Amino acid sequence: MAAQNQTALQLIRQTGFLNDLSDEELAKIADISEIQQQDAGTVLFQEGTVCVSLFIVVTGSVALDMHVPRRGQIRILTVGAGEILGWSALWGSQRMTAMGTILDTSTLVTIPGQRLQELCDADREIGYRVMQRMAVALSRRLLAARLQLLDLFSETQPA
Amino acid sequence: MEKVTEFPEFLPASELQSLLDVLMNAGYQTVGPTVDQGAIVYDEIDSVDKLPRGWTDRQEAGKYRLEQRDDDAYFGYVVGPHSWKQFLFPPLATVATAERHDTGWHMRTPDDDPPRYAFLGVRACEIAAMRVQDRVFMGGSYIDPIYKKRRDSAFIVAVNCTQAASTCFCSSMNSGPRCESGFDLALTEIADGFIMEVGSDAGGEILKKLPTTSSTRERLHQAESARQQALDQITKTLDTEGLRDLLLDNLDHPQWDDLATRCLSCTNCTMVCPTCFCSTVTEVSDLTGDHVERRRQWDSCFNIDFSYMNGGVVRNGVRSRYRQWLTHKLASWEDQFGSSGCVGCGRCITWCPVEIDLTQEVAVIRRSTTNTNPPNTNTGAAQ
Amino acid sequence: MTSAAACKPTDPWLAYSVTMDQVTPETPGVATYDLIFTDNEVAARYTFLPGQFNMLYLPGVGEIAISISGDPTNGDRLPHTIRVAGNVTRMLAGLAEGASLGLRGPFGSSWPLAGNTGKDVILIAGGIGLAPLRPVIYALLANRHLYGQLTLLYGSRTPEGLLYPGEYDNWRTRGLDVQTTVDRTTDGWNGNVGVVTSLLERMALPRSEETVLFTCGPEVMMWYTVQSARECGIPDENLYVSLERNMNCAVGLCGHCQFGPEFLCKDGPIFGYDRVASILKVDDL
Repeated sequence: MAAQNQTALQLIRQTGFLNDLSDEELAKIADISEIQQQDAGTVLFQEGTVCVSLFIVVTGSVALDMHVPRRGQIRILTVGAGEILGWSALWGSQRMTAMGTILDTSTLVTIPGQRLQELCDADREIGYRVMQRMAVALSRRLLAARLQLLDLFSETQPA
Repeated sequence: MEKVTEFPEFLPASELQSLLDVLMNAGYQTVGPTVDQGAIVYDEIDSVDKLPRGWTDRQEAGKYRLEQRDDDAYFGYVVGPHSWKQFLFPPLATVATAERHDTGWHMRTPDDDPPRYAFLGVRACEIAAMRVQDRVFMGGSYIDPIYKKRRDSAFIVAVNCTQAASTCFCSSMNSGPRCESGFDLALTEIADGFIMEVGSDAGGEILKKLPTTSSTRERLHQAESARQQALDQITKTLDTEGLRDLLLDNLDHPQWDDLATRCLSCTNCTMVCPTCFCSTVTEVSDLTGDHVERRRQWDSCFNIDFSYMNGGVVRNGVRSRYRQWLTHKLASWEDQFGSSGCVGCGRCITWCPVEIDLTQEVAVIRRSTTNTNPPNTNTGAAQ
Repeated sequence: MTSAAACKPTDPWLAYSVTMDQVTPETPGVATYDLIFTDNEVAARYTFLPGQFNMLYLPGVGEIAISISGDPTNGDRLPHTIRVAGNVTRMLAGLAEGASLGLRGPFGSSWPLAGNTGKDVILIAGGIGLAPLRPVIYALLANRHLYGQLTLLYGSRTPEGLLYPGEYDNWRTRGLDVQTTVDRTTDGWNGNVGVVTSLLERMALPRSEETVLFTCGPEVMMWYTVQSARECGIPDENLYVSLERNMNCAVGLCGHCQFGPEFLCKDGPIFGYDRVASILKVDDL
């Protein structure tokens, strides 16, 4: 268990996601984390299912698809190294808004949402840092979504 | 052109025509001020009868009127809606042609055979404006052959101002009212004639042929008083201290919004400004489509589609277009050409239909910006 | 960064005669037109630097500013990748091989390659913005040993909009890491979906201080690309953008292309970010 946690600690560090935390603090998160290797094509989570884990992508990529009636599965985003998925596991039992499918063989850090929540409640310092990094990650995701929405590459015809 | 070195000569008023005649005999097309449509404009003239003798101008923001003088001075006014740029940088010019042959399109430089102009009545601010445009059209990597040809062959007869309009602020821009250099001949009008100064070899050659006499000390004194009167009459100022940074640091100042409620984007200021140089080249084709001319004509940054690109207009509003004009003229120009683009002639103030005065607009921005180093303050303390 | 007007004619208004040699359809509405000078002497003298542009002239219709998108070591054949966006480009798209037109150029500043040997280079392109960067790719790969890590991050609206896909494998083989992404997918796309800035944020930059970044695409894209690059530790002075404005004379005489104090035709179109950072933020400048 210790050996695997050491690896988890190293891998979480590698993602850069929680770099504000000290090794001691990060070890507490590593203790409740799991490392998963997933092959291309594996469905990580279904759209609409309850979100129980936070995922941090170490290597590889995950495709997010949303189902639209009569249009089928629409791929809205691919997520790669250093990025997170399933953040709503951290603050309640919200449902996944997209289906996550492994695109390229990936290594993921998986953190059970409830245990991470408990850890954050118990250690407010860790909790604050985790929420801070979540906020940064979400604001980046929001900006990226807005840039996609702006459709900057659309053809413009003269008036 | 050299600075004035010769001892000034005197030309009687009755002999002014000889100046025109000598210039015409030397092959010049003489151009000078004349009255047209209630204003003093520049046009080809061959006789002093065409000059606005006995006329003066009253100018204020948005207002220009001619009035009779109580003397018969030939040059008793300042500047009107025209500047000399229309002769050096023609409002319409063919810059290239294209002919369709069996072998494809043949592009050619058109024949350009303009007259050699002699400008009579060039004011100090106008000499300064020509120098500003010289840097634009001839000072960069690409020289405009049309401007260069006309500018190189132009003969300048300057006239020292003996009065100022309420819109003049040349002294703030160090461009007048005294003609120091940049002319072939310079005239100062006194009661019975003109004190003539020579500014170049070409000017000296022309002067030799005129019926001049040595100036008396009395006449030289009168000329000095007349020139001083022009300086004394200047009331308008533009504070140029740190002006470039002031404007470029205030691109989001609320005064631009205020200007947007007043400015009509009518382009008058750019048309009358002697340094504005914006233009557009378009295609003109005959009916066969085989003979095409590329025609350059004056344009203005105030025109709505001047900044059109890829389906939209960059400066899509009066606010951004006015800001472009003023910040270019008074700030960016320094980065581009090493001097201000403004010579203080006041034309933009006179000819603005809604009386926008750029000296006042700058003053508003200057007053309302937080500036810990007020201009012209010498605290004497180490900073 | 200096313009190489190696064959500047004495008359800045006069166009050279060129022939359309080959037309290559690229993506919907976009094609590459290879132009060849009719006069062999002009062809021999003409050279350009990566990032420079020509004014292409259709007599009777007008001129248009187009970046040269070919190999800078080949001055004889000049490819221009052009999207139909107005009258001139629409007429151009209707011309056949062998058509006669005019060309003035080269104009403008270039991507700074010479001063950045030894560095890692990241190219970030959006949409048709890959066209002015392709000469850089050719130049970098021709001198591969002079540079560190080379990466191309390229975003397009859809997979069909990606330019020059047939060249990516060749570029990869020669040492350019090519990553693509799209804003929205079509069936059969198994690549990245999302904005190109996300690709940059996922990159490990082993030596960010010794990395230079060139970006070309819509202004909003370039702005956020540059901000991400700065967050990744790339110094401001190592960032370069390619800007666009209305281009009429291309020789600094007509005033149209001004952006603040910069004339895009001679001071640009390529600028160091530090030079234009303060005016990029100003709306409608």
